[in-house]
Amino acid sequence: MNTRVILIGGFHKAKSLAMSLINKGYTVTAINNDQRHCSELAEIDKLTVFFGDGTKPFVLEDANVYSADIAIALTQRDEDNLVACELCKKKYNVKKTVSIISEPIKADFFRQMGIDSVVCAITAITNIIEQQAFLNEMATLIPIGEGRISLARVPIPAASPIIGKKLLEMDLPREVIVGCILRGEESIIPRGDSRILAGDILMLISSVKHEMIAIRELTGR
Amino acid sequence: MKPALKEKTIKQYTIIAGCGRLGANLANTLSNNGESVLIIDWNQDAFRKLSPSFGGQVLLGDATDMSALHEAEIAKAETVVSVTNNDNTNIFVAQIASEYYGVPHVIARLYDSERDIVYKEFKIDTIYPAVLSAKEIDKILYFHDSPEEKA
Repeated sequence: MNTRVILIGGFHKAKSLAMSLINKGYTVTAINNDQRHCSELAEIDKLTVFFGDGTKPFVLEDANVYSADIAIALTQRDEDNLVACELCKKKYNVKKTVSIISEPIKADFFRQMGIDSVVCAITAITNIIEQQAFLNEMATLIPIGEGRISLARVPIPAASPIIGKKLLEMDLPREVIVGCILRGEESIIPRGDSRILAGDILMLISSVKHEMIAIRELTGR
Repeated sequence: MKPALKEKTIKQYTIIAGCGRLGANLANTLSNNGESVLIIDWNQDAFRKLSPSFGGQVLLGDATDMSALHEAEIAKAETVVSVTNNDNTNIFVAQIASEYYGVPHVIARLYDSERDIVYKEFKIDTIYPAVLSAKEIDKILYFHDSPEEKA
C-alpha cells in the first residue's frame, strides 16, 4: 500500500516537501488555514489540499487522517504543532508524527509527549551555516538522527598533516568513525592500518559535537 | 492548631498564563488572599485589567516560550493556570507545566472540548466555559419551566 503523508500548516515548507514527497511516490495531503496558500498549494499536481485549522479534530477527519501513515506539523507556532501531532498520534493512531519547533530546548519536551521526530529549523540552519563558513571545501553533510549524527564528506588537501599516516596513528575523537575512503574510482573500507593519501575523500560518521574537531584534525586547519 | 497556622503562612506560588478577564480576575483574588502570584501576558496593555491593589508579579512574554517559563521559575510553582484565549497555547502550557516541570496542580481553560484526548491522560484539570454555561442555562430553564414541580 502506498504511504500516505499529511502535512499540517506551513506554506513554503509544505510546498517544497509536498513536491519532493510526491516525486518519491508518496500520497500527500496538505492542510492549511489560509485560503490563498491553499489555492497556491492546489496547483501542485497530485496534491490533495484541505482548507482549515489542522489542530481541530474535524478538519483532520475531513482530510482522512485515519488512513495516514505519517503526519508532519509545519506551522509557525510550536503549540499548534504539538496539538496537531498529539491528536494524530493519540486520537487517530497515525504511526509516525514529525514536528518542527522554533526553540531547540523544546525538543525533549516534544519527544516526552510522544512525538516521534522533532526537527528544529533554527538548529539545522545554524549548523549548516557554521559548516559552510568554516569549511567551504566540504561538499556534503547529511544530518542523521534528528541532526545528532552527521555523515560528512571530507576531501583531504595535500597540505594536511595526516597524509601518509595510518588511521590508528591519527588523533581522532572516539565518537568519530571513518566509514569509507574514496580514492579515485576506488572506494576502500578502511582498517586501522589504511594509509591516507592526498586527494582522498573520507566519509566521516560522527556526532555533531565532535565533527568540527575531527575535520580540523583531518584537514589541518 | 499549630500545624494549621503554619500551613497558612506558607505562600503558594501560582503562575497564571494570560491576563484576560478571567486571568486578571483570578490574579486579583489570589493576590488579595495573600498568595504569591505571577501573571504572564505578551501584551503590556493586558495588565491594565489588574486591580491597583494587585501585589503579585507581572511578566511580559510568551507563555509558550521556555525562556519566559524559566524566568517565571515555573519549577517552583505549586499551581499553574493557563487561561489565554488560545486553546493550543493552554494545552501546551498545561502539558509542559505538568509533564516537563512536574507542577503539582495544573488547570487549563479550553473552549473546544473535542481535543480532550490530547490531555486527558495527564493530570490536568480542564474547564470548558461552553459546557459550564450550557449547564447553567439548562438549570435556569429547568427551574423556570417547572418551579412548582421542583417545589
